[in-house]
Parts: sequence; structure tokens; C-alpha cells
Amino acid sequence: MRPLEYIVPESAAAAVALLAEHGETACPLAGGTDLVVDLKHSPGNIHVLVDVSGLDEFRGIEETDEGLRIGSMVTYGEIMEHPICLEKTPEVVAASHTVGAVQTRNLGTIGGNLVTCVPSADSAPALMVLDAEVTVAGTDGNRRMPIEEFFVGPRKTVLEPHELLVDIWIPKRNLGKPSSFYKFGLRKGQALALVNAAAALTLEEGKLVEPRIALGAVAPTPLRALEAEAFLAGQAPTQDIIAEAADIAVTEAKPIDDFRASADYRRQLIKTLTRRVLTRSVEIASAG
Amino acid sequence: MLVELKVNGEPRSADVPPETTLLKMLREQLGLTGAKLGCDVGDCGTCTVIVDGVSVNSCLMLAARANGADVTTIEGLANSNELHPLQEKFEEHGALQCGFCGPGMLMSAKNLLDKNPEPSVFEIRDALAGNLCRCTGYTKIIEAVIDAGRAMNSAQTSA
Repeated sequence: MRPLEYIVPESAAAAVALLAEHGETACPLAGGTDLVVDLKHSPGNIHVLVDVSGLDEFRGIEETDEGLRIGSMVTYGEIMEHPICLEKTPEVVAASHTVGAVQTRNLGTIGGNLVTCVPSADSAPALMVLDAEVTVAGTDGNRRMPIEEFFVGPRKTVLEPHELLVDIWIPKRNLGKPSSFYKFGLRKGQALALVNAAAALTLEEGKLVEPRIALGAVAPTPLRALEAEAFLAGQAPTQDIIAEAADIAVTEAKPIDDFRASADYRRQLIKTLTRRVLTRSVEIASAG
Repeated sequence: MLVELKVNGEPRSADVPPETTLLKMLREQLGLTGAKLGCDVGDCGTCTVIVDGVSVNSCLMLAARANGADVTTIEGLANSNELHPLQEKFEEHGALQCGFCGPGMLMSAKNLLDKNPEPSVFEIRDALAGNLCRCTGYTKIIEAVIDAGRAMNSAQTSA
């Protein structure tokens, strides 16, 4: 094997240029919780590591006029302790808390989790229900897109090999929006989700406004249950209506059988978790 | 590549290949074999050390990323005269059986108590979720952490 080269670039632009120069033999290093394992067991064609974990442009959590910006290289541990996240996006904090365990959360970054793009990524549903957007840096500058468009398939995002995820934005109107996240795994710690789910909504004169439902580990990518959302909009959130929305969400998902759970069991979970996150979000919205 | 860091308060350095994990550098270059090599994929937690104030799996962190960092390992817990209260209480409660998970358990518990001196049982279980004890002796470990927290608090109050 060719010896590995480890480079710490000075800026995001320098990192993109390095990745473009070395092509597929280069790989960006974030928290390393997946990549370092790969390097030990299946290094493949990686010869250059570009350590982007400390780049200023990818770090930090700030509230601006536009909304909340979370740098892609912010760790789950940092999100869980950040006062703005705790106050304005408590369910992103809750979702972060279900990832791995303390030590992996102190290394693992929210951007790394999104770029790895496994269908069970816990941060994804919590961000999707808040209409989060992501910024991508490439050789032609930055572009911004809704987070749903970032995911392409299992372990596949829109990123070109030289492109990097810069940050995640939650629009100002959704900061503090009543929301709920629930993950069902086989253990409380160190377990991947069999299914995870999030909801966010507001109530105006007893009617649902901008209801959002997102599900993980039920399709090739994290999924918005758009039909269930459309059904809910404008309705009063009774238990019957919520149950019906959960049934619609089940039809939108495409769960698979794997060694963790059967597709049928996952469909049962989607129904239960969708009901649960909607009910909880309504309770929060009603408490005002 | 040259990696320079501070380990348990002492400046240390080593020339290592870039794929070297912090765990490997600590054990093989710096002779600090307290942190153990267990699963080597970030599940078992016996390699836990504290880097710049947060606990990490040293098997998942490249040594290069710890360049310039302040690292505390299990060897830094006791001083030459006395054990850390956590070590005392683990001993008192018989919290270690085979002992292989011990260094990681102790470092995770230290990371918890440094931030939260009076954790609930739930918080302790959450803080130790990334540390597996294959002897399954979790009950006594949790009791020892509760007791150590109390001992550290009363020591502080009486000081």
C-alpha cells in the first residue's frame, strides 16, 4: 500500500482544491468515527487524508437574522451542550443524544453524519422537519439546497468527490417550532435506529399549520412523509386524524427486511412512532 | 509525521505514520498501556481518554488530530501519593472484575463527574453507555460512581 498522506488545509477553498487535485484517492476527514474504522479494515484507494475537522468555516453555532447556522464540523457533543440549540432546536439536541455514546458523540460531527448518508442517520429527520438547508462548497463557490435534496441514496449524497458540506441552516421561522423526535433501537445506547421519526407543526386557531413528518431507516434515504403532511394541513389534530396520517405515512415508506428488523415490523414502528411524534408535537404546540 | 501533545501534563512527542491512532501512539510510542485495545472500532470504550476536556475513543482518533492537544489517560488519574476518589471507590465497591474495561470506565466516569458532580443513576448509565463490561458487572460500577461523586463533593465542601 502506498503510504498515507495527512494534510491539514488552511481554508475550505484549499481543502476543495486538494480534493480536486487528488481525485478519488483523497478523502476528507471529519470526526473519523466511520473513516478511521474503514482505514483499518478496508482502506480501498485512499492515499490522502484532508483533515477538515478544524476549519473555521465549518465550525461554530450562530443565530443570525436568517436563522440558526450549525457548522458541519460541530460535534454531537457540542450541539447537546449549546445554549442556542437547547433553547431553539431541542429535538435536534434530542436526536443528537441518541447517536452512539458519549465518546463517539464527542468525535462524530453532524456534517459527517449527513455526508455518510446512511438511511438511519439520527440527525436527518430532526433537521428535515425544520426545513433545514445545507451549504455545499465546490470549485465554483458555495451552493445552498434543502436538506432532502442532499440525500441521493444509501451512502450517496449530491456531493462531487471534491465538494464539502459547509454548514446546516435552520430558518428563523422554525426556531422554537413545536417538534418531537423519537428513535426506536434495540438498546438505548450504541444502537442504530430500526426506525426514527420526527414531526414539527404549529397550531393556529386549533388547526395544523405547516405540519412536517420525517422518517429514517424506512427508505433508501431519510424521507419526508409529504402525503401525510398534506392530509394534516388545516385539520384539527384529533387522535383519529393523527392515526390516519400515520397510516398514510406507512404507505409512503419503503422499508426493507434486514438483520435488524423485518419490513413488516418497520411498518408497525412507522405507524406507532409517527403517531407518537405528532401527538407530542401537538401537546407542545397546545401548551404554547 | 511528528505529533506533539501534552499527556497527563507532560509534553510528549513521537514520529508516527499518519494512519496511527492516538491509542496506538499512547501504547506503542509513549509506553502508556493503561488505555486498552479492545474492539478497535469504537464500540467497547476501553480505549477512552480525555482530549481537550472531552472523552473520546482513542482507537477512532488519529494521533495527528491530537497534535497540540491536552490528553489525560488513566495514568494521569492518581498521583504518586493517592488514588483518585473514583479509583478508591471502584476498589471499595469491588466494581472491577476482570478489569479490562476499567481504564475506560474510570475515564468516562471522570468525564461525567468533572461536568456533573451529582449525577442521577440515569445520567451515569447514559455517561457509561459507551463502555462495555463483558463481566456484566455494571451495578457495582454505578454504585462506585455515585459514591465517588459524593466523596468528591464532600471533600470540596470541607476544603
